[in-house]
Amino acid sequence: MVSEFKLSSEIKDDCVVISTTGYVNNLGGQKIVDEFESHHKNGLNSFIVNLAESKVVNSIGISFLIEVIEKLNDSNGKLLFTNLDPSVDKTFTIMGLFHYAEKADNVEEGLKLLTNHKE
Amino acid sequence: MSEANNYNALLDKLSLQVSSFQEGFRILTESKSLKDIGKNFVHLLRGNLLVSDINLFQKRNENDEWKELYLQKPDSAEFINNLKTSEALNLNFEEELDYKVFATLRCIDNSYFGLIVGNKIDKTKFNSLDAITLQIFIRLLDNAYQTYVASIREKNLIFSLNHKVLQLNSLVDTGIEISKLENNTQLLELALERAVALTNASKGIMRIIRDDKVIATLRLPSTIDVAETLKSKDKIETQVDYRGYSYIVTLVDKESRSGTETFDNTDEILLTAFARQVHSAVENKELHREALENETIKKELSVASTIQKRIIPETLPEIEGYDLAGINISSKEVGGDFYDCRVLENGKIAMIMADVAGKGIPASLLVSSLSASLNAYLEMNIPLDELGAKLNKMIYNASTADKFITCYISILTPSTGELDIINAGHNPSLHLRKEKKLEKIEAGGVAFGMFDMGLPYQGEKRVIEKGERILMFTDGIPEAMNENEEEYSDERLEKFCVDNCFHSSDKFINELVADVRSFTKDTPQSDDITALYLIRK
Repeated sequence: MVSEFKLSSEIKDDCVVISTTGYVNNLGGQKIVDEFESHHKNGLNSFIVNLAESKVVNSIGISFLIEVIEKLNDSNGKLLFTNLDPSVDKTFTIMGLFHYAEKADNVEEGLKLLTNHKE
Repeated sequence: MSEANNYNALLDKLSLQVSSFQEGFRILTESKSLKDIGKNFVHLLRGNLLVSDINLFQKRNENDEWKELYLQKPDSAEFINNLKTSEALNLNFEEELDYKVFATLRCIDNSYFGLIVGNKIDKTKFNSLDAITLQIFIRLLDNAYQTYVASIREKNLIFSLNHKVLQLNSLVDTGIEISKLENNTQLLELALERAVALTNASKGIMRIIRDDKVIATLRLPSTIDVAETLKSKDKIETQVDYRGYSYIVTLVDKESRSGTETFDNTDEILLTAFARQVHSAVENKELHREALENETIKKELSVASTIQKRIIPETLPEIEGYDLAGINISSKEVGGDFYDCRVLENGKIAMIMADVAGKGIPASLLVSSLSASLNAYLEMNIPLDELGAKLNKMIYNASTADKFITCYISILTPSTGELDIINAGHNPSLHLRKEKKLEKIEAGGVAFGMFDMGLPYQGEKRVIEKGERILMFTDGIPEAMNENEEEYSDERLEKFCVDNCFHSSDKFINELVADVRSFTKDTPQSDDITALYLIRK
């Protein structure tokens, strides 16, 4: 069953990888934005949100993710989602997130895509 | 200068600023956030009015506090009380204060902008052109804000429409997905996850109740305190019942970007729809399981029937001087009754009647084991009491505790009519002597496979004289029941034997079956009907 929301992050090749666990809702979405802001203000502009352990996302959580996408668009940055559960993938597709963000099967593949994007 | 000349001079100056206004409008409407609008507005105004500092505030409504939007001088906030709101644009010039212009503007969404402007850089007073320029830029701010609000509304509308599509899509998908899940817990978890996510509930609980007791609780998130969560006033709940189980789904605390809001009708409709899907999925799974079980039972009975048919003789041997007939009618597709009659190598005739506790494949396999063992042991010509002990041990070792076989074995020496009999817990056979005297053959012993304690099987010897008859049968005949749950009974069977002692063996068996059927009428046959009837001619 879905656990409480938790988050961790690491920087790989100038890219911030934010990995989440649990329900991405108001609380989870806010934590993602806070984590994003803490790195974005330091000039980092490439982000991966790894949702391997988050199978449930509500529309409030999505609105926070859109906020991240908009801020990165303003700063010519890039957001990429990885390890999406099929239902989350479909949710993001319907909500239009992939118009402005990309996705990859896993973090390694995501890092490669972001590196290619920088070049 | 005349008033006309003044106006003309003013118009000339304003004409020079037109392109600046147009550029200003473009910059303001292209701003991506409210903060950007404020920042761009301040920069544009500063360039056009040549003032030292400009400070912009905003409040969401008449009763809200002013909040800074873009400040060039933080101390300007001390003059915030000079911002007086009204329906129309309010523009005041204050000669005596450190800040010279105070303006408020009511916006399309009833929020207000507040503007506090400092001195001009050249320290001159604000003139008519400045006042008009200021008014024009405030109007540009108003228009830009209207565009911004419209774009936000458009975005929210698109988001909301997408969310409705998502809700519908997810409802359909969830129905399909949960119907594919084998495991009931996974099915219920998935339904709860979807109901929580699509209604933006903060938490969800599903309680499964039977006999007024909660037998299982699913939670999302998994760590929430159920009792505490259920105390929430902001919740919606629905219940579905199926075969004595109640599934109560409770969604708690609807989320919004600003905190929580109240669940609406759409949420209740969605929750009810998910609950119906759960009901359908659980019902379908149960019906599918029952169908599979019935199919398995049918297959098992079919296999058992095949086994049984192979070990029950199709024809009975012709015995000179005797008339023998037998019958086996299974109550379902197959039962646990068995009979056989075989000619041994020494010319004697072995007649066997057995009844296994239970039905289906296990019973048939046990009968099959008994038949195979009898084949081997009977040809060894060992005493029947010893044979009984061997068969008991074999059946005991081959069967589970609830399986045993009652069995009646008699060995006939055709020339003399001598019968060597053992009875392992089976119904006593009936021996109809001459002059219609009926005797029960009571040779004793416990059923095969019931105990392995070395209990003896005491045989009995008797002779069937010419004209005498013996009926071997299983309990399916005396215990056959009618619609009043009355049994055919031993007494009726014994009377039938006496009253029908003139028939051939075939005819007797057929009449016996007909008599049982006339007693039970339309009541379904509850047990096998099996009998062997021997007449010494």
